[in-house]
Amino acid sequence: MNDTLGIIMTGFGDSALGELTQMRARAALPVCGRYRLIDFTLSNMVNSGITNVGVPTTSHYRSLMDHLGSGKEWDLNRKLYGLFILPPYLSHENGDSCGDIDILNGIMDYLTRSKQKYVLLSGSDAIYNTNYSFLREFHISHNADISVLSTAQASYLSSPHGIQLNCREDGSVREIELGAATFDGARSSMGVYFLEKDLLCRCISRCVSRGFHDFVRDVLLHGTSENRIFSCPYTGYVGHIDSVSSFFRESMKLLDPKVYAEIFNPQAPIYTKVKDQIPTIYGPRAKVKNSIIADGCTINGTVENSIVFRGVEINEGSTVTNSIVMQQSQIQKDVVLDCAVLDKNVIVRHSRRLIGQESYPIVIGKNAVV
Amino acid sequence: MRQSDCIAMILAGGQGSRLGALTKTLAKPAVHYGGKYRIIDFALSNCANSGINTVGVLTQYQPLELNTYIGSGQPWDMDRLNGGAFILPPYVKGKSGEWYKGTANAIYQNKQFIDRFDPKRILILSGDHIYKMDYRDMLRQHEQTKAALTIAVIEVPLEDASRYGILSADENKRIYDFAEKPEHPRSTLASMGIYIFDRDVMMNYLSADESDPNSSNDFGHDIIPAMLADGLPVYAYTFSGYWKDVGTIKSLWDANMDIINGSDLDLNDDNWRIYSRHIDLPPQVVSPTAEIRSSAVTEGCSVAGTVENSVLFSGVTVEAGAVVRNSIVMPMSIIRRGACVDHSIISHDADIGEDVVIGCDSPNYPLPPDPLCTDGLSLVGDNVRIRGNVRIGRGTTVVRSIEVYREGEDTLL
Repeated sequence: MNDTLGIIMTGFGDSALGELTQMRARAALPVCGRYRLIDFTLSNMVNSGITNVGVPTTSHYRSLMDHLGSGKEWDLNRKLYGLFILPPYLSHENGDSCGDIDILNGIMDYLTRSKQKYVLLSGSDAIYNTNYSFLREFHISHNADISVLSTAQASYLSSPHGIQLNCREDGSVREIELGAATFDGARSSMGVYFLEKDLLCRCISRCVSRGFHDFVRDVLLHGTSENRIFSCPYTGYVGHIDSVSSFFRESMKLLDPKVYAEIFNPQAPIYTKVKDQIPTIYGPRAKVKNSIIADGCTINGTVENSIVFRGVEINEGSTVTNSIVMQQSQIQKDVVLDCAVLDKNVIVRHSRRLIGQESYPIVIGKNAVV
Repeated sequence: MRQSDCIAMILAGGQGSRLGALTKTLAKPAVHYGGKYRIIDFALSNCANSGINTVGVLTQYQPLELNTYIGSGQPWDMDRLNGGAFILPPYVKGKSGEWYKGTANAIYQNKQFIDRFDPKRILILSGDHIYKMDYRDMLRQHEQTKAALTIAVIEVPLEDASRYGILSADENKRIYDFAEKPEHPRSTLASMGIYIFDRDVMMNYLSADESDPNSSNDFGHDIIPAMLADGLPVYAYTFSGYWKDVGTIKSLWDANMDIINGSDLDLNDDNWRIYSRHIDLPPQVVSPTAEIRSSAVTEGCSVAGTVENSVLFSGVTVEAGAVVRNSIVMPMSIIRRGACVDHSIISHDADIGEDVVIGCDSPNYPLPPDPLCTDGLSLVGDNVRIRGNVRIGRGTTVVRSIEVYREGEDTLL
């Protein structure tokens, strides 16, 4: 797919993820023990043979830049193309506006200078493992203007932020609705679009000249008559993260061996920044069941149905169940955690008890001391 | 070329024959260690952390694994504009191509490489030791004492002293006596095989040594005694801390156990990271049926059985009902349902079949113990597949795949 340019939108103005995205773009959200959300889309692109990937950033992009670096961990440190982190370009025209059209308009130079014919435009809010070449083939064989990757998974159909596609028999999109699906046979957009680069550039220019800001509303929703929009069905598993509860739910789904095997397919690895941590050390009192554990941890307590990130310390007498503990957090002795999400570098002092509900997990912000 | 201050030459051609089946297809520096490392990671990471960016890695025995592992040197930050990591195998020169005859000859044969970087000093390292050391300290001492050669030394117990190069130094650390593997050691100061030479002095001695047909072309046997005999300033640099030569099956097992039980070697030191080349593997999965205690487990592992007092390397699978105790299981191996592994080292890509028992206690096993497998340790070679109702006693090495099914009773090997 080296005729395709990848653009990954990193999320902005995210309030649904609360404290988790207060200081970072959604794309930089830590997931699955050692990854950031963007790793899945980025690795999918790399595994599909895309060698030119642009990542426009908006605000709070330090942690994302730190994570991506030169792109060498994704094999995108290339002489020809590779990974481009595109920081926001502020001017009087776009300074106070914020929509994805404005962000794309900000990287117009990069778009026009790249020689690829097609663009794969994607968000970074999903955990899945795929090869996008079927989308390209679908696009060409259906002679589509815009192909939208779509799923019929319930988590998308019921999402209040959903984009529902009403399709004809041949897959062409008749109508698009925002919000949860209200009609039978709906398919949800996964926020992954395949189109010719020239068309994208034209759409951006037209929107900008009319004062429009939103790709979904102004290009897709109102464009079903102008453009041949097709829904390209994706049948694999996809974990969609657009709220704290979906983050929690989708993370826990990885404990299902079938989901884990599909996401971490050894033939199509998910790449991430290497940290050179030592193996995890289990102490004599460790009791770990049904969990995903990253490297560099020291575990001497009980961990069950949980996801533990790199470099976490869980001390004697502590019990961690149904929880997500991010990088470098420290859980001292005799702590009880249930249905909690601990962001990076959190310290939970001894004998503290943090108990949330499955539908409403407790979230402890970065660097907090409890 | 710009002149560099110091370059490192890592001797990585040793076979490590006492490691038996573990070094059948790879050189000793490439042997796996500590869940995700190889032994040579220590020399390379120490160089990287000491700011030495030009490193020649001299390979000879089974170099393929090391070549692909080191590659461009990128994991150790050695893909540099000036310098970097270079693999230096012996090569044909006109009519006179030959293998590396000894440590000194190996360096001598790479004279052109050294000339190209034109360093003032040369750091000679061995690729098969586990330790953390800041070579800058040693370089500083070398400069202060105006030494021609500085040798890093460590105190060893007297009973082990005859395994090492033993030297004696005065109160200013100037060395006046050196004996390679002496029968009756005169001190307990052992050479760590880490030398800093002034390059010009070294080159003179290397050429002189080459023209001596009776020389064994070895630093310890020939070069150092010759320099001492000529009265050159040779100094000792004292190192204290964790240093292990994992030359035997038992010492390799011990060194791995140090990770679980804690030792002076802090691998989690943010200021002195030990780098290694990674295969990108997902985090480890611990199943509902798993029990893991006092063990080190790393990325890509999947554990559904019992793991106790063991080190599991990347991508190891322990199925439900399997038991791994007091053992080391190297990358990508699988221990199947009901199998039991105790006091063993399982090399990479091995496949231990259902209900197979390895390293069990019983006096009546027909196979004679392998002399390399001391202290009752068993060893299973790489890519070995064991199937059937097989029980393998302690002190045994398995290098070929086995498949025996016998009705009613287990087969003892």
